[in-house]
Amino acid sequence: MLRLSKIKTRPSALWAFLIPSVVLIGLFFFVPVVLTFLISLTSMDYSFRWDWIGLENYVKIITDPWAPKILTNTFFYVGLTLSCFNVGLALLLAIITTHINEKVGAAIRAIWLLPRITPPAVYALLWLWATRRESSSLFNWVLGFFGIEPIEWKLQYPWLIVILVNGFVGASFGMIIFTAALKNISRDVIWAAKVDGASTLQIIRHIELPLIKWPILFVTTYQTLSLLTSFEYILLTTGGGPGLYTTEVWALYAYDLAFRQYGGISYFGYGASLAVFLVIIGIIASVLYLKLFRFRELMLEPKIEVR
Amino acid sequence: MLFLSSQMSPKILAATLLIVGLVIGIAIGYFIGMGAAPAAPGATATVTETTTVVTTTTVAGPAKPQTITVEIWTIGPDPPSEYRFKNFEIAADMLNSWLEAMGANVRVEIKGEFYVRPVEWGEYKNKFYLAAKAGKEPHIYLTGHEDIGFLAENGYIIPLDDFIKEYWDVVYYDVIPTLWDAVKYKGKIWGVPQDTEVRPLYFRKDALRALGWSEEEIEEFPKKIEAGEITLYDILEIAKEAKDKGLVKRGLVHRVKEGYDYFQFYLGFGGRLWDPEAGKMVFTKSAWKKTLQWFHDAVWKYEVIIPTQFSGDWDKDFHGPFTKGEALFCSGGSWHKGEWIEKGLLSEDEFKKNIGFALHPAGEPGKKPVTLSHPLVYTITKRAEKEGLAKICFMLITLITDPHLNSFHAIKSAHLAILFSQIEDSRYTKDWFLHDVAYMLKYTTFIPNHPKWGDYSRIVFTILKAVETDKTFTPDKAFETLLSEIQRTLGDAVIIEE
Repeated sequence: MLRLSKIKTRPSALWAFLIPSVVLIGLFFFVPVVLTFLISLTSMDYSFRWDWIGLENYVKIITDPWAPKILTNTFFYVGLTLSCFNVGLALLLAIITTHINEKVGAAIRAIWLLPRITPPAVYALLWLWATRRESSSLFNWVLGFFGIEPIEWKLQYPWLIVILVNGFVGASFGMIIFTAALKNISRDVIWAAKVDGASTLQIIRHIELPLIKWPILFVTTYQTLSLLTSFEYILLTTGGGPGLYTTEVWALYAYDLAFRQYGGISYFGYGASLAVFLVIIGIIASVLYLKLFRFRELMLEPKIEVR
Repeated sequence: MLFLSSQMSPKILAATLLIVGLVIGIAIGYFIGMGAAPAAPGATATVTETTTVVTTTTVAGPAKPQTITVEIWTIGPDPPSEYRFKNFEIAADMLNSWLEAMGANVRVEIKGEFYVRPVEWGEYKNKFYLAAKAGKEPHIYLTGHEDIGFLAENGYIIPLDDFIKEYWDVVYYDVIPTLWDAVKYKGKIWGVPQDTEVRPLYFRKDALRALGWSEEEIEEFPKKIEAGEITLYDILEIAKEAKDKGLVKRGLVHRVKEGYDYFQFYLGFGGRLWDPEAGKMVFTKSAWKKTLQWFHDAVWKYEVIIPTQFSGDWDKDFHGPFTKGEALFCSGGSWHKGEWIEKGLLSEDEFKKNIGFALHPAGEPGKKPVTLSHPLVYTITKRAEKEGLAKICFMLITLITDPHLNSFHAIKSAHLAILFSQIEDSRYTKDWFLHDVAYMLKYTTFIPNHPKWGDYSRIVFTILKAVETDKTFTPDKAFETLLSEIQRTLGDAVIIEE
């Protein structure tokens, strides 16, 4: 049996393949992270001065009275959007659309892609219009048929709006990946299960889901990191409100302090330290996922070889 | 063709392509280099150079005039304020025609932008700072006077005292003196006032008529406000009555984004923003308590302001409701009149017939009515100085600090005069609205020229927005949060007074 570890590779060939990605990751990940970290050790604002203040910004995070609330909001937002939409709904859509008529399934998937291909500002505006307090807005118009009074959605159910807006966009990504993975499962295995009398639910539970464990790990990890740093839809819909920081998440807080200042005052230093904090959370979450999904086992060479 | 024929050896083809490439590259480089020749260092030097060039032209034929490009950034964000930029083009045309008539072989070219919505102030300022970091900021930068402290402190702009002294008798003697206070920082002058304005409380006369008010009572209303007989709580009562009777859908609309208008409510309750002697910002506890209570009451008790007003849309939640007669009061600015007319939301006649305007009322009996002015100013950047263009920039600013040119702007955008002679200018005097609001300047206040003012403003906006959107965020809780945030963020920069 040919083992991967026994393949002899010339170091120069290895580097030739590795260098492009090493350069890209170095330029667009490591350099920005190092720069962000360095800025986080300064009190930089629009004067762009590198005034070193050590770990003062990190102490400020610990003593920031809003930090606990905003961190809780972030976990709530990421957890709920991820489980209900970006992985949950995505998986459901992928499974349903691969088990029904192929053309209908493809049409449903195409419709779910619409939020993804709509420009974010337009998409957010559509949601704002749909959830306005007037009885003529889409949501209230529908409620009107049931005799329910118009609701100011943005004020009364801000989290619902935030999670729906993000979730409807986020679901399509996982849906595509899961669909591709499901379609990649050898039909022989499914037919064999059917011959053995397995029901559709049993096939999903015992064959399909275990076989797409790797894409689920990928989507979960990728979408967690993506949600942790995403804030644009929250900014465009609730703006972190109503009230004081009700739907403010960590990334939005960092953006608000660093860039969104009417008076032209910006805290690049403090904003950068908030961003570094987010990078740390992201790394911890990634490691946890890798452990949880037994990534090492996934990457092991197969114990049997099918020829 | 032999050049591309298959018989040509690859080496010859490569060598030929290399030579062609080099020739084309050198040619392009040469022409780009010509285009990017440095501009003239300054006005004085220009005159000397001009003489030389003119002499040369008699021998070698007409030479292309040397062009000095001045880059200018201005902003509305209301579209009618376009003369903030256009006036420079007018001035440059004027200057160029003089230069041409004098045979001077140099011209001034104006480049730059006049930003309008959706670009808002925050974005505009961010753009400037980032451009400045890259050394690409404009030579002349229009901004709010409150930024002068930060800009000056961090070396973005240059002091103008010497220039102003030199050209004092040309035009600067004529600037309304209080406006100089707005452009001073640490004893120096850092900008030239571009305009000023007042922020009236507009009201719908037609709604008041429907409420049973006589024409006389309506005419008396601004006077009563000026006399302090009508307070902010009276406004809430009137608005509620009109709303309860179904005459309007909203009692009062105010701005929908961060800004400075709402500081008038605090000033109306006797608050102070600036201590000129200490050079510090001021937080008057009693006034902020009452202001927060008023906003909470306006939204949740009287229900005359909608809870989402601070996160609304300018057209749907501000201009639209008021100009359509769906809102009784509008806490706006004099420039909004210009905007409504320009956008066709109201005709001049409709405005005259149905819209009234007054000072912002006192918060409670015994206090004074107020208004707030936010003069915009032209500043000259460090880049202009580095490139030797500071004096040319100042001369351009001097040319447009002219009663007639500034009146183009004042009338179109409903801003107020900055020059004494402008008040008598033939164009300016024809505008009845500017004449009628001018008295409000007696009651005006400026926001502080402090480098940390942006923080004060941001914290206030965050808390006010929270009060409006969250009923459970009580005025007491809001006040405690406001005070602690101001103290935590601004420390010694602000004086806390009872």
